[in-house]
Amino acid sequence: MKPAIEVASLRKTFQGRDGTARAILRDLDMAVGAGEFLCILGPSGCGKSTLLNVLAGLDKAYEGRAEVSGGRIGYLFQEPRLLPWLTADENLDFALASCRVPTSRRSELKSRYLAMTGLSEYRNYYPHQISGGMAQRLALVRALCVEPGILLMDEPFSGLDEITARRIRFDLLTIWEETRKTIVFVTHNAYEACFLADRILVMSDGAFRQEMRVPIARPRSYDDAAIFELSRDVIKAFGDEIDREPVLFAAPATEPGLDPGRHAAARMNI
Amino acid sequence: MLKLFSLVTAVIVWGLLSLTLPPEIFPGPIETARVLWGEIAAGRVATDLAMTMLRVVAGLVLALILGVPVGVLMGLNRRAEAVLDLWVMIGLTIPSLCYAIMAFMWFGLNEAAAIIAIAVTAAPSITINIWEGVKNVDTRLVAMARIFEASRPAIVRRVLLPQIFPYVMASTRFGLGIIWKITVLVELIGRPNGVGFKLFYWYQLADMRQVLAWTLLFTIIMLLIELVILKPIERRLFAWRPQVAV
Repeated sequence: MKPAIEVASLRKTFQGRDGTARAILRDLDMAVGAGEFLCILGPSGCGKSTLLNVLAGLDKAYEGRAEVSGGRIGYLFQEPRLLPWLTADENLDFALASCRVPTSRRSELKSRYLAMTGLSEYRNYYPHQISGGMAQRLALVRALCVEPGILLMDEPFSGLDEITARRIRFDLLTIWEETRKTIVFVTHNAYEACFLADRILVMSDGAFRQEMRVPIARPRSYDDAAIFELSRDVIKAFGDEIDREPVLFAAPATEPGLDPGRHAAARMNI
Repeated sequence: MLKLFSLVTAVIVWGLLSLTLPPEIFPGPIETARVLWGEIAAGRVATDLAMTMLRVVAGLVLALILGVPVGVLMGLNRRAEAVLDLWVMIGLTIPSLCYAIMAFMWFGLNEAAAIIAIAVTAAPSITINIWEGVKNVDTRLVAMARIFEASRPAIVRRVLLPQIFPYVMASTRFGLGIIWKITVLVELIGRPNGVGFKLFYWYQLADMRQVLAWTLLFTIIMLLIELVILKPIERRLFAWRPQVAV
């Protein structure tokens, strides 16, 4: 079966202000199977958001191949990015109309996903009238109700408090298990990656360093000791990876003397 | 309630201050209102007021037509911004009296020249407002709309315009404030009627009661436009905005 997403020799360089070229993505290869939940894990600035922008078609300046064939793309940003002058319902309509979802299907789709996320009562609220967690859940509903084959998610829960984030992660897994969309989920949180993913690609400095399968059975519980242990291994392995290739890991010049392994682990939120 | 209180206070302060000078030089609110009512009852207000209003509205419309596109262009295009930046500053610096004199000298003492002078004076301020507005457009929302495959016209209409509109609204109010003042000045030097003409006429006759009566009339009309037309429009358009609690 043809994978939903195929990336081959993907490169992107960024021309710095001083004229030097800086590689953001270095020869990336990956394939994401239809219905797979893939997490890309890496510290801030490793290029994971750039990769997502390329996949979404927002960024077209790259070399190599990036093919998405698994249907329409739904995208969840780090922030909700709702249109503040529209109510919750109108925000969903905006997405549905933009994607040309037939009018007859719209109200059913909206009701279904609003109910799944517990937002049915808030249809007529403006974004500023609901909490940050609800706004992000509404953004999730918006991404889902256009019936995407592929969901791209860019650290969607990192701006939320842990309790809210847990609840939405749980919602997400429930919906995913029901609909089996292909998901590429970018995060710097190793525990989150281990809880959610089938497979984790560890990324740093624009390249994939390691691939790990998550052998934990579903449905998963957030407090499962196996997830905790795995996330510890992921971070440790990631640290070793950095120690082995110290040249490739460019620690910020402003923080000299910081052990790069520990530094990365610290930035990985555990 | 608070507004009414502040209005009453303003009138009282006026009344108290007017006591410091003889009434023919600084009439109080009651005397001024009486004179104004006399003028209105005698039917001497309508023509001049109508002419002034016409110039204000025409000037505002022309100023928006000139100012908004330039502001949008400057907000969107860095090169246009670099080129036009200085022009706008020059336009802003030249006093409105100079524009009025130039317009009357070049186009003659006619209505068109008056309106051009009014519009050209106000346009740079409108441009600056819109320019700021377009620069502040949240491009993250545009990226969101592109992800959802929104068409270009849809992005302009449903994502960009709602963000720019508050600035157009602010420019209109701001522009109106400037335009009132220029119109009166333009009428004073080059028109045979209007509120500005009347003010100058009564000034030459040293009749301060009439001068203040016309000033009062003008102020009342201004406040009415603000309260009856602009405020309600704004309230309806921006109902979605959160109240700012400080």
